[in-house]
Amino acid sequence: MQLFFQDLVNGILTGGILALVALGFSLVYGIMNIINLAHGAFIMLGAYITFQLFSSLHLDPFLSIPIAFVALFILGWIIQRYVINYVVRAPILTTFLLTFGLALLLVNVILLIWTGDTRSVTTSYSGANFDIGGITVPVVKLMTLIVALTIAAVAQTWLVATKMGRAVRATSMDVGAAQLTGVRVGQIYAIVYALSAGLAGAAGSLISVSYAFSPASADSFLIKGFIVCVLGGLGSVQGAVVGGLVYGIVETFASQYIGTGYADAVALVVLLVILIFRPSGILGKATA
Amino acid sequence: MKPRIFAFVAILAFVAFLVGPLSTPVRAADDVITFGAAVSLTGSLAKEGHLTQEGYDFWKDWTNAHGGMRVAGKTYKVDIKYYDDESSPQTAARLVEKLVDQDKVNFILGPYGSGSTFSAAAVAERKKVPMVEGNGAAEKIFNQGYRYTFGVLSPAKRYLEGIVEMAKAQHPAAKTLAVTASNDLFSVEVAQGVADYAKAHGVDVVYFAKYPENSTDVSAVVSAIKAAHPDIILNAGHTNDALLVHKGLKEQNVQALAYGYSVGPDTPDFRAALGRDADYVFGAAQWSDAVKYKGDKGFIASAAQYAAEFQKRYGHVPDYHNAESTAACLAFQYAMARAGSLDPEKVRDALAKLDVTTFFGILKFDDRGLNVFKPMVVNQIQNDNLVTVWPTDLAQAHVMWPTPLWANR
Repeated sequence: MQLFFQDLVNGILTGGILALVALGFSLVYGIMNIINLAHGAFIMLGAYITFQLFSSLHLDPFLSIPIAFVALFILGWIIQRYVINYVVRAPILTTFLLTFGLALLLVNVILLIWTGDTRSVTTSYSGANFDIGGITVPVVKLMTLIVALTIAAVAQTWLVATKMGRAVRATSMDVGAAQLTGVRVGQIYAIVYALSAGLAGAAGSLISVSYAFSPASADSFLIKGFIVCVLGGLGSVQGAVVGGLVYGIVETFASQYIGTGYADAVALVVLLVILIFRPSGILGKATA
Repeated sequence: MKPRIFAFVAILAFVAFLVGPLSTPVRAADDVITFGAAVSLTGSLAKEGHLTQEGYDFWKDWTNAHGGMRVAGKTYKVDIKYYDDESSPQTAARLVEKLVDQDKVNFILGPYGSGSTFSAAAVAERKKVPMVEGNGAAEKIFNQGYRYTFGVLSPAKRYLEGIVEMAKAQHPAAKTLAVTASNDLFSVEVAQGVADYAKAHGVDVVYFAKYPENSTDVSAVVSAIKAAHPDIILNAGHTNDALLVHKGLKEQNVQALAYGYSVGPDTPDFRAALGRDADYVFGAAQWSDAVKYKGDKGFIASAAQYAAEFQKRYGHVPDYHNAESTAACLAFQYAMARAGSLDPEKVRDALAKLDVTTFFGILKFDDRGLNVFKPMVVNQIQNDNLVTVWPTDLAQAHVMWPTPLWANR
């Protein structure tokens, strides 16, 4: 029983970071209808920024989250404004190819700057943990979960309560109608893409502390983000959070009780089953 | 204007395409012996791939600086043609084929990793070009009946045996073992090998699990290890796995007498990434600069001197990936000298009969092409330094035993 609850805790903690990984991906996918294959590379950039600030300036990784966010936000803005913008209405294969190319480019730039070494940020409090009734809770992963959920809550508030956020949601519902009411869609797209990149940067910061990473990890996180956002439902903050937590828990339990080798397979079967009964994901809007 | 520039560029590209093949070198321009290698310079094994390339290049530069190679009274410069296999076995196979067919290399040096080596070996066999490899230890490579592939490594199944043997000899002695493995060709053989060894030597295997390759999270595996209360915790995987598992063990406060990894502790980034948490960790190694072999004439004879010259050249101490890659080149060097020829068939036969001692250890192959004659060593990280602790006759320091509780470090 103790193992069961330990796995539940592990699953939720893993799910928190997955939610943040998926959040930015989901926004771009849901609102701009672009499957952004460069998202994994953005996450890695965030992780490397945090790693660099930590190793050369000894900056605490949690303090570097805003820096990674802003840096990636700016990069995302530039990429949207000067690259993606030209193909935003193009068929999905075009944006697919473009973002794939961007991903290759970014990953190889990272490789040039930071080499292929496997990195991880290890602070004085890394690995600290506390015990509740025999269940060990790692402090860093708990903090990661809290930060991830806080960021998600802020993003959700922004989408619901601000004028800009409402414009974003309007654009996602109906581009034409949004334009008619005076929403500048180009600007909305730039904001959404930049925000998505910023969220990836923040996710990268958190990953650098809890996990190990190398430039090649970009793919693993991209795929996880993709699955989670399809699982939870596209384009919504709640969808990413619920999807992340469900995926984290399913993966952990599958690994423990069905066989460590089957964790991915079981998670994908669950995805399939959910998509059969709810084609738009757990919290997705029913499509016409 | 724009279309015209485009057309011009297109024509240029077309011309380059036509001329390209003409300008590539033909087979063995008289006084150069060309080796070909597809190593992982990008992708998940980029780190180890770069170490492989350094090991090859060190031999090449050393040989050329010392007058080149003499084969049958003639002096040759050596050159190595590289491609990046992007850490993908399929790509490695394609590139090795290209090295033989288009680049007309004389011989093949192995890629990094058992997966890529396995697929490259099939190509070497089909093309009848000898390949010596120093970075694929899975026995599966050598159980195909291939005649043209030779590996200078101790086989995968022996990687972690030394740690169990060492742990049994300490006080308090280890009695139980947990083994986890990344589900790849090499790691599964390592894990299976050490589990079999443990059972045969009276150590209980209380937990054994394979998890998917390139996992980003292993917390479920770690909590299962914790529930099994093993004395020794071993992981077979690559550097990424070692870091993930070790961080996870500390996070979930899993205590054991010893923690060991097949790949990781040897590379400087393991210590850089973990800081003092890396202390007390055991690592298996094909080689360390503490080994005391006295090499035959023709190359740097001792491990210590190799380490010193290597550090001068690359600015870091060589780890075993560097050394085993250099050793692969040495196998060719001695075999060619013995064959007195560059003929692939004669060099292959000389490799099969090779029996030399180098700074890396003995180079001798069984009839499958596998070097089963060289032992492994066990290293431990002590106060942020990697030292050889087992076998005792090679040890630079005493084993620090047992590993203290996480809370007391």
